[in-house]
Amino acid sequence: MIRIESIVIKEFRGIRDLTLNFNGKNFGICGPNGTGKSGVVDALEFALTGNVSRLSGEGRGGISLKTHGPHVDSRDAPDKARVTVTVTIPSLSKTVTIERTVKAPAIARVTPSDDAILAVLKKVQSHPEAVLSRRELIKYVLATPGDRAKEVQALLHLDQVEQVRTGLQKIANACERDVKTLNADATAASDSLLKALGIPTLARDKVLAAANAQRAILGLASLSELTDTNSLKDGLATAEPGQTQRIAKAQALEDIKTARDTLAELTGPATAVLVTTAQNELRALASDPAIASGVTMESFYATGLRLIAAEACPFCDTTWDLTALKKHVQGKIDHLKEVSRKRKVAEETLVPLTALLRRVQSSLETLARHAASATPLLAVQAVKDRSAACSATITTLSAFLPVADTIAGVAGLTSVPRPVYEAIAALEKVVATLPEPSKQGAARDWLVVAQERLDHYRMAKRQQKAATEHATRARQVSDLYAGASDGVLAGIYSSVQNDFAALYGFVNRDDEDKFAAKLKPSMGKLGFDVDFYGRGFFPPGAYHSEGHQDGMGLCLYLALMRHLHGAGFTFAILDDVLMSVDAGHRREVCALLKKEFPKTQFVMTTHDPIWLRHMKTENLISGRAFAQFRRWDVDHGPMEWDDRDVWTEIDDYLKQNDVRSAAALLRHYLEYVSAELCHRLRVPVEFRGDAQYQLGELLPAAIRQMRKTYSSAKDAANSWGQKDEVAEVGALESNFGALATTSQAELWQVNVAVHFNSWDNLVPKDFAPVAKAYRDLLGGFACSACSDLLRITPDREGREALRCDCGTTNVNLKMKPKKA
Amino acid sequence: MAETPTAGEAPDVPAQVFEKFLADLAAAGLPKDMIGRLRTTLIDERAFSDRALRAAVLAEEPLP
Repeated sequence: MIRIESIVIKEFRGIRDLTLNFNGKNFGICGPNGTGKSGVVDALEFALTGNVSRLSGEGRGGISLKTHGPHVDSRDAPDKARVTVTVTIPSLSKTVTIERTVKAPAIARVTPSDDAILAVLKKVQSHPEAVLSRRELIKYVLATPGDRAKEVQALLHLDQVEQVRTGLQKIANACERDVKTLNADATAASDSLLKALGIPTLARDKVLAAANAQRAILGLASLSELTDTNSLKDGLATAEPGQTQRIAKAQALEDIKTARDTLAELTGPATAVLVTTAQNELRALASDPAIASGVTMESFYATGLRLIAAEACPFCDTTWDLTALKKHVQGKIDHLKEVSRKRKVAEETLVPLTALLRRVQSSLETLARHAASATPLLAVQAVKDRSAACSATITTLSAFLPVADTIAGVAGLTSVPRPVYEAIAALEKVVATLPEPSKQGAARDWLVVAQERLDHYRMAKRQQKAATEHATRARQVSDLYAGASDGVLAGIYSSVQNDFAALYGFVNRDDEDKFAAKLKPSMGKLGFDVDFYGRGFFPPGAYHSEGHQDGMGLCLYLALMRHLHGAGFTFAILDDVLMSVDAGHRREVCALLKKEFPKTQFVMTTHDPIWLRHMKTENLISGRAFAQFRRWDVDHGPMEWDDRDVWTEIDDYLKQNDVRSAAALLRHYLEYVSAELCHRLRVPVEFRGDAQYQLGELLPAAIRQMRKTYSSAKDAANSWGQKDEVAEVGALESNFGALATTSQAELWQVNVAVHFNSWDNLVPKDFAPVAKAYRDLLGGFACSACSDLLRITPDREGREALRCDCGTTNVNLKMKPKKA
Repeated sequence: MAETPTAGEAPDVPAQVFEKFLADLAAAGLPKDMIGRLRTTLIDERAFSDRALRAAVLAEEPLP
């Protein structure tokens, strides 16, 4: 995607004004705690994404980018808090500047700007994982399987995959619920038809036989087949206009019995148990206010979460913290999901009650139709009312919300007013008094009722069939999607798992070169077990040390990033991610990054100067591709160990007559640079386990080593017969000796100005020559062309050369081999 | 050491899943018109709402 060329930070976090030039290469930032390293990381993240995850992650309380992003002295002027990064986009061969202010973090000023550039930067913005701190890193290793899956899925941007999976599941579930309802309707229609036909099972031949028997009585031709559309009463004369519809006596009596049986079931003990169970579930759910929002709100929140992008509310322009808002909304969605689960349980308890109500309603409607055919007309208003009440209750229970209405509906479900029974009894009385129909009349009644119920049955079966087809297809689609996504993700996890194991095995090849790991996706979770010295697979935190876990976190992150971005993994910012890893393994990490990720630019922070040194010796960083922060104060922000700045700063102190500060700075710088010289020149120094070396132990030793090196160089030149070289090295040696003498460094014990902190007795004109002498001395350790400190190569085994990084200085130390 | 898994830039994991899904639907013999609607919804329009998915799977017109 991109490589970072430089960053300019103004009034941002703990930084007042800082410029760092990365030049598109790996870069190390080193300094004690609290010197501003992470401020640079924050600034990089801010410039690229408009966000600072440290100010928006979990447990941040009232901290926000808007309020706490600017330097504390500019907290009321967020427009001054400004970060500018210059990046190159290799795929476009373009260099682009991105500038953001805390006042409007969502707005990036991009120069130059075109669609292709903005597309790349948008992609970068959507990948904040390019910035990795130890806090994030450890999530991949020690998280629970469910949380790890979320972290990895977020890294791989699988939210869309999950959204579709959930959506298809919901559709399949809804279709299956529809089928249940329509199955109940079809069963009721079937029962009703069987009763009318007077047969035990619904088989075509039996239906035809029953119908043809009645048709024969009426002299109608037999039906040879029963199709989905023909009528049992084909050829039967329709009623004359004005002719009253007669009650089919036998069928009416049968229907009255069915209605009484159904009402008895409704008011019986089995239904009472179902009602009690449903009421308990509903009351438990009703106590949660979120149920009122229900699935609609869940959908609303999910949509809102995807659309939240601006820095202010689109309705009222109130500004908000984007990350905090997203977290807030996600919390609501999570809660609603739990509510949704409880709702499903409650809905299941309503299914048998709804089915029973449908049968009651159907049987009462049938009685009402019989009553309407009576002469004189029989009023059965109570039956109609109870039927309507059943219908209303079914609607309420199906809608489910508001829960209070559902609870009330369930509570009144078993109630059957006395007038209902009285109306049924009245109808029964009327039907009983009807004269027995003639054989032909009974046959006619039979065919009319049978066809009416057959029509109803056919419609119910058509609806059932269509719903079943939908449900089958929806489930098949959902299952195929689950299989496809699991398959693709398993492939990804397998690839990542192998790459991770190889990366970790490389770093720990001294004793875990056969290391293996298992990433196991299952039911939305992601298990992670690692081999422990051939004794089996265990969670990373079970037996491995904290340092090993840090290493695992980094290797898993690198494997995921390599898979996610492929060749586009061009940069990553590692913020003190290996603080628990020992020095030896850090060196291996340097080797790993250099070997395995040669096209990725790493910006790495560390409080440990030894690791910075490893980065240099392993050639992970080269030249001046590092910043070494020496201190930080609230007025100035971080200050680097830059020799040019140090001497200017000392001069400034002296101009202000502040000898104490000038001497303190000189001493601190000499401590830092002496350690660096001893490292570069491979100076033998008495070893200290606590690494607390005194200036008096390091600088004189470095001077002695430099003299010895020049002496060795002359010997080497003589052995090759290079007289000019001997003369040149002699001149360098002489010059260096003069500088050392002037600084009186070898007479350290008498150099009271620096060693005994007696600067209170000095005035600027006394101290200035001391500072100049040391500045000149340190110049003697450096290349005259590039000003870099010289170093012995190689850094182990036989000494071959004294050289600088630019190649101008290259003094041979290797003797000509003697002939045997 | 494992080879770099992908040589190209930033493989789109959701797109990989969707393409595999559509291929599996075709292999299972599901209706071509439904597969076409799902391709439009998932790949072309990147629409993942329940309503859009239901319309694609069941050929139901989304509500206005």
